[in-house]
Amino acid sequence: MAEVLKVEKLYKTYGSGRLAVEALKGIDLTVNAGDLVALLGPSGSGKTTLLMCISLILEPTAGKVWLDGETLYDNGWKEVDIRQIRLRKIGFIFQARNLIPFLTALENVMLPLDLLGLEKKEAYRRAMELLEYMEIAERANYLPALMSGGEQQRVAIARALASSPKLLLADEPTGALDSDRGMKVMKLLKSIAREKQTAVICVTHDERMIEGFDFIYRLKDGQISLNNHPG
Amino acid sequence: MDLAIRDIRQHLGRFSATVVGIGLLFAIVLSMNGIYRGFVFEGLSLINITNPDLWVVERYRGGPINEQSLLPEFFHYSVAAIPGVEKASPFIVYPVERRIAGKSRRFTIIGYDVFTGMGGPKKLVAGRPIVQAHYEAVAHEKLGLRLGQNFRLGLHTYTVVGLTREGTSPDGEPLLYLSLPDAQEVIWLPDNEEVRNQRLRIYQSLVRPGFFTPQEAEKYLARYAVDTHKVNAILVRLAPGAQAKEVALRIQDYLYLSVFTTPEQIDIMFKGRLNRPRMQLFLFRSLLLIVCVVIIAMVIFTLTLEKIRSIAVMKLIGAPNRVIIRLIMEQSILLTACSYFIGWIVIHNTYQGWPRLVLLTPEDDLTTLGLALIGGIIASLLGIWKALKTPPALALGEQ
Repeated sequence: MAEVLKVEKLYKTYGSGRLAVEALKGIDLTVNAGDLVALLGPSGSGKTTLLMCISLILEPTAGKVWLDGETLYDNGWKEVDIRQIRLRKIGFIFQARNLIPFLTALENVMLPLDLLGLEKKEAYRRAMELLEYMEIAERANYLPALMSGGEQQRVAIARALASSPKLLLADEPTGALDSDRGMKVMKLLKSIAREKQTAVICVTHDERMIEGFDFIYRLKDGQISLNNHPG
Repeated sequence: MDLAIRDIRQHLGRFSATVVGIGLLFAIVLSMNGIYRGFVFEGLSLINITNPDLWVVERYRGGPINEQSLLPEFFHYSVAAIPGVEKASPFIVYPVERRIAGKSRRFTIIGYDVFTGMGGPKKLVAGRPIVQAHYEAVAHEKLGLRLGQNFRLGLHTYTVVGLTREGTSPDGEPLLYLSLPDAQEVIWLPDNEEVRNQRLRIYQSLVRPGFFTPQEAEKYLARYAVDTHKVNAILVRLAPGAQAKEVALRIQDYLYLSVFTTPEQIDIMFKGRLNRPRMQLFLFRSLLLIVCVVIIAMVIFTLTLEKIRSIAVMKLIGAPNRVIIRLIMEQSILLTACSYFIGWIVIHNTYQGWPRLVLLTPEDDLTTLGLALIGGIIASLLGIWKALKTPPALALGEQ
């Protein structure tokens, strides 16, 4: 299995001096292509901070981050185009209001393809393909406000997959959904990991949702531990 | 993908209402341009229509249009005798408010020598010029008189023999052309009761003890008769080859009068009577333009704030800054351009109904559009600054 993400001795401290808060304390994590990884932990345990450090939104305090064989951080940003890496290699799904409200479902999925410079015709074809894969093609021309939360989340997953990313980061993707819809979204993430060999890291606090995940990590007080037996 | 258009599509109602609101402001800006141009045009129109080689006026006066000037009528003979002068013609320009055809109207009387034609109307839209020494008039259409209509003015009844459309007084009032003696009579001849009172006052002062006997007083009274033989300026046409500056100097030196060329008269008007209102109008239209830009900036900023999370999402998925800048700037330019277009339509369909001349020029329209678009770009800067400052983490609910 190809290594997609490697994090080594990752630290993140907010503030300084007496007010310093250590959110991450030497995190080590390796994720391979097709891996389904769950990050569990109570609120404030550092889950979102870890996600933001991995996705280059937040600068770590120390440590190393490799993505798809490329060093992104080695006790300091490496000279990489962060936006391009996020656009080409990382897909994002988050809890709610994922979609751009003034774009239709189709346009939301076409947006990353447009940013990648694909021709309109090709972008349309791929976006429709993804919407069909997500079984939401019939809502292609709907604005997000006219779709249910589950439908919106499926469109968001389609958009996250548009650029065929190596890594899919999902931050509480079922947080705003009822359990039925949440289960469906999780099922989709699993099939994506299996069929498209995309590494999926899913942050959640709901342990019912992570059945069938390959690796389950728990974060507590900024420290990570592997625990493959949820509950 | 044109994000700006798609965002506007979702807020079409609000966008349209804003466009109409700012459009009306732009209509006022454009109208101020037209009022400004019209003000200058009307301010100079009489000078431009009359257009003699030289204007001879009372010494140290900037008249006859910028400032009142009064000369004895016979001075035009002296002016005509100056070497280099081909023709000198008396000229009266005098604003009045009188009742014509049952209505009180403001207008300006132009009195001129109908036989030389200098100072008279240039283009008539109906009828003919004045050809008789008395009781004929050429009226500006705005006065509302008809060709052939008789109207009472002062002591006499006049007939409209011609109608003109060109030129107004500097205040935008219509012109009424009369022969010189008619104009002098209308302007300076008091009514009979006033003449009787004046003569009585003079008579009483003459027969005071130690002055004149009643018989002598009666004899001298004729000397104090009302003098209407006054003019405001003398218009000069130069002889072929004569130099305006030299002739002007001769008139100034020999006759102790002030002399101006037509460009100098225009300059005097610009620096004098037209100056402050012109500046005021310029200031007003500049302020209006600034107000438009500020409103656009506020609207764009509000629109940006409303989609700040969407901007964060775009940044998170890797949209470069130029995409976000384009989104905001394009909206600002669209808002400006659409508003300008609405304003343009409004003013170009209403300006003819305005009480004073609104002179719209393509140059002014284009300049305003250019300034508005620059303003629109400037207006978007606040929104762009806010958008660029937005962290992608906001999409994850983190700030």
